[in-house]
Amino acid sequence: MTQTTTSSTERLVAGRGIGGFGERHFKYTVLAPAIFILLLIGLFPLVYSLIVSFQRVTMMSADTSFAGFANYAKLFADARLWESLLHTAIFAAIALPLELVLGLAMAQLFLERMPGRQVFVALLVLPTVISPIVAGANWRLMFDHRFGPINQVIGWFMGEPTPILWIINPLTVYPAILICEVWQWTPFMFLILLAALSNVDKSLTEAAEIDGASQWRIFTRIVLPAIWPVMAIAILIRGLDLVRLFDIVWSLTRGGPGTMTETISYYTYVQGFSQFEISYTAAMAFLVVALLTVIVTLALKRMGIAR
Amino acid sequence: MTDVTLSGIHKRFGAVHAVRGVDLAIPDGEFTVLVGPSGCGKSTLLRIIAGLEEADAGTVAIGGQVVNHLPPRERNVAMVFQNYALYPHMKVYDNIAFGLRARKVAESEIGERVKRAAGMLSIGNLLDRLPRQLSGGQRQRVAIGRAIVRDARLFLFDEPLSNLDAQLRDDMRSEIKRLHRDLSTTMIYVTHDQIEAMTLADRIVLLRDGRIEQMGAPLDLFERPATRFVAGFLGSPAMNFVPARLSADASVVEVDAAMLAVPAGRRASLAGRGASAVVLGLRPEHMRRFADGEQREGVVRLGVTIELIQPTGSRTYATFRLAGVPVVAELQAHDVNRPNERLDLGVDMNRAVLIDPATDRVL
Repeated sequence: MTQTTTSSTERLVAGRGIGGFGERHFKYTVLAPAIFILLLIGLFPLVYSLIVSFQRVTMMSADTSFAGFANYAKLFADARLWESLLHTAIFAAIALPLELVLGLAMAQLFLERMPGRQVFVALLVLPTVISPIVAGANWRLMFDHRFGPINQVIGWFMGEPTPILWIINPLTVYPAILICEVWQWTPFMFLILLAALSNVDKSLTEAAEIDGASQWRIFTRIVLPAIWPVMAIAILIRGLDLVRLFDIVWSLTRGGPGTMTETISYYTYVQGFSQFEISYTAAMAFLVVALLTVIVTLALKRMGIAR
Repeated sequence: MTDVTLSGIHKRFGAVHAVRGVDLAIPDGEFTVLVGPSGCGKSTLLRIIAGLEEADAGTVAIGGQVVNHLPPRERNVAMVFQNYALYPHMKVYDNIAFGLRARKVAESEIGERVKRAAGMLSIGNLLDRLPRQLSGGQRQRVAIGRAIVRDARLFLFDEPLSNLDAQLRDDMRSEIKRLHRDLSTTMIYVTHDQIEAMTLADRIVLLRDGRIEQMGAPLDLFERPATRFVAGFLGSPAMNFVPARLSADASVVEVDAAMLAVPAGRRASLAGRGASAVVLGLRPEHMRRFADGEQREGVVRLGVTIELIQPTGSRTYATFRLAGVPVVAELQAHDVNRPNERLDLGVDMNRAVLIDPATDRVL
């Protein structure tokens, strides 16, 4: 049976006449379906939403007439959009360095061989494994102002009940989201940086030590450059994730209080799935795509990892 | 003055007892080579001197100062690693300058010293390159440059030539020897290669299973090995060991049917053992083709049948059997021409070594 298949394949490959395909075209024939599907699921939605962004489609009217740049012009006048971008930038600017520094410190700590190391590493990685929605829901309970354990613990220290309205009070809502975000994603940094650190050639740090460098100097001049390629990728991945920050905000605050914690992803979602401004949402999505493209291109250039 | 004194050094890695009580005094300016088979503890000993490992017991003193609790950076030693350990993201200049910058030397002085070191090693034209753009030999030079630029009081080499090909290894060996002559800094060099040890050392320290087996000047060790291990480790091709019997009056060594007369001068020290089993140690170069009518004190005639011939050009290695074991003799290029040839060899019993098979010590 196998033999028959093989020989018929051989004949197909060898037979230059069949369907006009020669041996050299055979690989394209084989690749074509995969490429087609890839284009269909990858490129089509992109192109389709680009088209929609130039129309006037809402849930109420499927008005597919050409709208020009009307939707894009509207973007620039939309204060709520720019605020949501600002919120996103704030989250990213605080969470990313925090996750990086904490992850690096933890990785450095766990580099040494110690009893129970593997168990600890496995436990530490748990937050990253669970779904962000679940994490957000959990933290919502943790932050609950009457029953949440966090207020409970703070109460013990203060000596009296302290009903902090974590996700309602404008002063504490950012810290609350950031705590959840950092809690969930620091282990990701930790894991990647642990792998990078354990790959640093030990003789390099030993040579530097004999050369007379302090621990700090060894870390900044030898270890950091050695792990930089991996660290840069980790920063990029986390950075992009943070620009798309949605699930934690959705499950913790729904963008509230008011629109105070709306991120660009969350606002896009509101426009698309509560207001059903289909064309406007498409334009907004394209703004984000353009933004991310710029960030990624710049980052790859600066980090020198595109080479 | 940078003498190094090790006393009672022990080091364990888990269940492995890597260094088992080493006492060693290295005088100022000496080139000492620690040599031995892999796993003998030589690298561990070097790392203990550098401060990269801590000894479980014993003291390390450099220049009269006990340094056991000093971190490597405060010991003022320089080390060249087997894999060179060049900082991959730094140019050659910065690699060499790294140690000086860490010690806050003025940038103008750094420039001078780097150039001088680079000049000594002829790598002045490579200063702007990255390590990955260099060949193995060039990397090795940079690694040595990084060590000499600091004017450290003690140089440590951890198998620095083992990643180089044979030709380069010979070149670098001479270079390191020249470096020692010019700098006359105390140097400790670890290798498993006995030729490196013989050619470089003022003194060889031969290690085995974490202990010093024997130490001394290279030729002393070569000519007067204390044990079978030392005799077999030094020399290439290695010494041949043949089971034999020593006669009661120590006048004759009996191998198979052959009787090899012991030179009169050596009999006195061997007598008194009674007739006993010994191991006869013969270096390949101490056997040659016996010329008719030749008569030299201590050279005895031995008829053999050659099994295998290995010409190297200038010399030819001929293998024959004696008492059931293969024995290699180093002959002149044309002394023997084909296998199964019958040949009379002259064995120089003045240089032969007799070993007690029970203790493996040389008699």
